[in-house]
Amino acid sequence: MAFGTRVEGNLRRAEFRGNAGEYFGIWIVNILLTIITLGIYAAWAKVRRIRYFRGNTFLDGHSFDYHATGLQIFLGWFIAFVVISIINVVTSVYPLLGLVSPIAFMAILPFFIARSLRFNARVSSYRNIRFDFTGKAWGAFVSILLGGLVAVFSFGILAPLASRWSYRYIFNNLRYGDRGFETNPGVGAIYRGWLLPALMVVMGLLLAAAIGWLYVAPFVLDVTNNMDQYSKDEQVGLTIAAIYAVIIPIILVFVVAGIIYRVVVRNVVMNSMLFDKVHPLHSDLSRGGYFWIVLSNFLITVFSLGLMRPWAAVREARYLAEHSGITLKGDVGEVMSSILASGSAFSAEFLEIEGMDFGF
Amino acid sequence: MASDGVEIARGTWHPPKSNAAMAATLLADGVRLSIRLDGDGAIAYRDELPSVKVSDRIGSIPRRIMLHNDSTFETHDNDAIDGLLKAHRADRSGWISELEQFRPRLIGFVVLVFLLATLVYRYALPALVEVAVLVTPPAVPGWLASGTLASLDQTMLSASKLPLAEQQKIRAGFDEIAGFSTRGKANYNLNFRDGGFIGPNAFALPDGSLVITDALVEMAKGDMEMILGVLAHEIGHVEKNHSLRQMYRAAGLAGLIMLIAGDVGSGGEEVLTDGAALLSLSYSRSAESEADRISVDLMSKAGHDPAAIGRFFKLLEDRLGDKGGTSMLSTHPGTPERRNQIDEWAKEVGGGG
Repeated sequence: MAFGTRVEGNLRRAEFRGNAGEYFGIWIVNILLTIITLGIYAAWAKVRRIRYFRGNTFLDGHSFDYHATGLQIFLGWFIAFVVISIINVVTSVYPLLGLVSPIAFMAILPFFIARSLRFNARVSSYRNIRFDFTGKAWGAFVSILLGGLVAVFSFGILAPLASRWSYRYIFNNLRYGDRGFETNPGVGAIYRGWLLPALMVVMGLLLAAAIGWLYVAPFVLDVTNNMDQYSKDEQVGLTIAAIYAVIIPIILVFVVAGIIYRVVVRNVVMNSMLFDKVHPLHSDLSRGGYFWIVLSNFLITVFSLGLMRPWAAVREARYLAEHSGITLKGDVGEVMSSILASGSAFSAEFLEIEGMDFGF
Repeated sequence: MASDGVEIARGTWHPPKSNAAMAATLLADGVRLSIRLDGDGAIAYRDELPSVKVSDRIGSIPRRIMLHNDSTFETHDNDAIDGLLKAHRADRSGWISELEQFRPRLIGFVVLVFLLATLVYRYALPALVEVAVLVTPPAVPGWLASGTLASLDQTMLSASKLPLAEQQKIRAGFDEIAGFSTRGKANYNLNFRDGGFIGPNAFALPDGSLVITDALVEMAKGDMEMILGVLAHEIGHVEKNHSLRQMYRAAGLAGLIMLIAGDVGSGGEEVLTDGAALLSLSYSRSAESEADRISVDLMSKAGHDPAAIGRFFKLLEDRLGDKGGTSMLSTHPGTPERRNQIDEWAKEVGGGG
């Protein structure tokens, strides 16, 4: 049953078979029912959305599936909502607790991250076998929280190290049935991909500073020196305009650099990943190609008042699927049929808290 | 094999707890299901339809029947499965999939969504903001304000050059007015600064710290009532939690879009959150006129001229007249319009004007 999947040598690429028209119906009904039910349906809408995308992503003729129920996700959101509300009420009665609660939140965050990764893995399946995630909260604390802090406080210079830690935590703890994944992305490779986005950020900041120095500063000086010619309204308006003129380019540069960095990291991480110690995974997104898809999707979505979003989402899913794959070493039938569910992962009826959705 | 029933759909069978895949056919005899392997025609498993789990229909993704021995039958023939379910058991979720079909009525759904989204924006979002303000611990405005004044001092503001006597005079008047506010005098703290290029201005931080610039005091040319009117306006912003509201509004808008539209797309999420944060920089027109109203009320209660802030706007209006034209970037209501409103309110509360 290898129909529909492109096979190059032994590389099997994934394929996305969804289409915009079909997804448009699902998407608009999701929105309609979410509004009519005052947001409650959003949990069920999310399940239908993810099932549509997973169910249309085919590898070797079989699609992926997502087994979370709307009720599980709704309860996860509901519990998170109740906890946050309780914290707020208690803090307003005992304001001193306001100093403790952010620390407590940071302390339980790794637990939530690990649970969320496990939940998302366990509700995902391919060919009747579920994924599983065995990472613990301590690992999430070290690799994701500390890693994130390291990346921020080094002004992004150590971001590749942080990326390496977090992806190793996520994928080295990922299981498919009784088989594991492992990835060992080279720091050098991530740094090579990091150079371009880093350069973009530096250039962007210099450009913003130049705009500020050459255009905004003289303009502000003009306002200051000829104060009498401007009303308070105009001063406020002009000040805000000056701030926007500097801030908006900076934000754009960070968004663009962030997308390009993620593409590079995805390629490096997936290309250094092995399934069951022998079968290499593959990713060959092109920086320009993927960036063009994201940019044009964003513009088309905005200018169609959101109505082209289903088309854009399907287009992006298709691009991502077509540039991902796995090389199965040996007879595919034998490799596949030897995979068995490991007992713990295969329990369809468990109820878990979603907490936060990190996806994977 | 007539006893195993009629052919329903062709597909793939995954044996229990294994990801092996075998071409198979689903047979049904009433509610009794049988999986027949295409290879040798053997029956791999039998099950009862009413108690097996069948995945909901979503678009044309393959349907999965999860059988009791942890094996799965998978087929692309959605219609056949729907027919089977309709005939033999109550199918509860089918109507959603029916709605989702790409038919002309979706145009009606689009119109309905735009209509409802407008209602959500007009009524649900403001209501959410009110609830959020209500449950915000009192410590939060303090966190927001602490640091803001310090960083402003480092960048744009410098120490006031006003004579101490004048500062004390203004402070005394301010304390008197703040005494009539809901939060009380103790929760306000007036600061004098040289505003540099900010010019004649006054602003309030969410915790009740107010800043007035030397240029504004100079511009008033000794009109103490006018200065107090402007300060009462800033008290109004604090009383009504305008900055907190603005922040929640921006966050709520981004959150609602993400909740309702579901997937916003790569890049879209960042732009949305950053854009919403940028929006919170600007004040809304209704917040300004609400603060004007409070200025009128507080001034009247404290026995001052309630329409004093109107003179401040008159001053601005005269300058505006010199230059002509209104700024497109203005985030405040038109000055003449505000002045008229202030005069009317001042008459209402029975003061001058």
